Amino acid sequence: MAQIDLQNVYVEFPLYDMSARSLKKNFLQLATGGAVGKDLNHRIVINALDNLSLSLRHGDQVGLIGHNGSGKSTLLRVLANIYEPTKGQVRIQGHISPMLDTILGVESEFSGYENIYIRGTLLGLTRKQIKKQAAEIAELTGLGDYLSMPTRTYSSGMKIRLAFAISTTIQPDILLIDEIFGAGDAEFMERAKQKMTSLLNGSSIVVMATHSDDLIKEFCNKALLLESGQVKYFGSVDKALALYHAK
Amino acid sequence: MPLLKNVTISFMSIKQEAIITDEQTVSVALPQAGLMTKSQSQLARQDLYDSLKHWRIWLMLAYQDIKLRYRRSVLGPFWITISMAITVYSMGYLYSHLFRINFDDYFPYLAGGILGWSLISTTILDLVEVFILSENMIKQIKLPYTLYIHRVAARNTIIFFHHLLILVPVMIIFHHSLKTNSYLFYLLPGLLIIYVNSISYGIIFAMIGTRYRDIPQIIKSFISVVFFVTPVIWDPAVLPPDKRFLVSLNPFYSFIELVRSPLTGHALAFHHVLMVFAVTCIGLLVSYFILAARRARIVYWI
Repeated sequence: MAQIDLQNVYVEFPLYDMSARSLKKNFLQLATGGAVGKDLNHRIVINALDNLSLSLRHGDQVGLIGHNGSGKSTLLRVLANIYEPTKGQVRIQGHISPMLDTILGVESEFSGYENIYIRGTLLGLTRKQIKKQAAEIAELTGLGDYLSMPTRTYSSGMKIRLAFAISTTIQPDILLIDEIFGAGDAEFMERAKQKMTSLLNGSSIVVMATHSDDLIKEFCNKALLLESGQVKYFGSVDKALALYHAK
Repeated sequence: MPLLKNVTISFMSIKQEAIITDEQTVSVALPQAGLMTKSQSQLARQDLYDSLKHWRIWLMLAYQDIKLRYRRSVLGPFWITISMAITVYSMGYLYSHLFRINFDDYFPYLAGGILGWSLISTTILDLVEVFILSENMIKQIKLPYTLYIHRVAARNTIIFFHHLLILVPVMIIFHHSLKTNSYLFYLLPGLLIIYVNSISYGIIFAMIGTRYRDIPQIIKSFISVVFFVTPVIWDPAVLPPDKRFLVSLNPFYSFIELVRSPLTGHALAFHHVLMVFAVTCIGLLVSYFILAARRARIVYWI
């Protein structure tokens, strides 16, 4: 069973370049961004996550909401083990699949098929496993013969189709999603939704950051409202959305 | 005045950072191992081990780098061989006349030297910026940090084997003066040692270069100086005898000889073996400690 426990987690980004010092005042006035503080030796740090504690268990499908800069992406990256917190404890059990940037690894000079191979390898699949799934991925993209052409000839919607199809091949225990639904025509969105639903239902824990209320209402059974790197509300979807829109 | 301020502040930040490290433990549960708490040095070893386990990824990325560079060109990666051939053949002709050395003796020496030098220098130059250039990947997907180092080291090793092809005509044309003998087999262990050092010094350079952005610039200008003070295109035998020991203190010389000696059919001199051994040991130790102490901070520095 997958589970996630965060205990008093801090993520502080140090600003090393000196020009940032003059920006200090600007940062303090930013209503939406994370809190700006100072560390022990008066270096400027941005507290992207500020004393955040969170427990997620099997069956939790959490929608992350909050303004730009409230720490949604940072939290997803902590859960994906990309940022190790500056203070605090992180315990995560289960195989994680981050879908943070689906375009990652889509190389414009390579063909669609080559890109399937590249992305599959990055996700830890062997050549054999990729071969087995290649047909299914190709089917989901619906790109047909375009798959043997270099992806630089693709439109942006086609690129997203390819990226989406590749990154949804792995069924993880914990699925982390950052603003995944972008372009794509109606026909593809329908297929993407089906695939997404089966992926979501197959995952033990889902954490999804999005600005779309509809998506959260449709896919999530809990919502986490972040503000300045702190949990403002964690609980029912409707209440979180109401609080979010209250301001 | 602003310059001076800069120096003090960055020095303070080094001191401060040193405090947080070792005591801090981060709990990470791995899918196969279940819940456990790991210390920073365990995580560093895990990083090194995982990067080896994921050889498929870095080998593919290294190969992809090369393929990408020559995509849409007719000759493809063969350009690597051609451009090196042009450099070596024209320099060999010019410098043998410039230094008034016997062309037959000088040419294989120069070819071996340039091959070794280009392997070592491009590896260093690529490594020092590797985390900065891989920012996108590091922030999107969790992979061991040393995997990126392997990618660069593997890429440059593949390029080296492309370069090696230029020696085929050299070996045919200069077959009377160039001894191709059993010492050639020492090339493989030599390359392996260079690879190990690429990883260990890669960790050191890449981490320092990411934290202090002046370091890549310093190393870039440093490398071009090293080229001239290292016996790449000149033979230390032309120096007066009392100055020769200075050259043998240069670690780059010893590492180039790891490549050049087997190619020109010589045994590696003992002082080179000592130097390579010492440099390798220091690199392994320092890289392990720096990785254990600072690995978790890399992503914050980018």
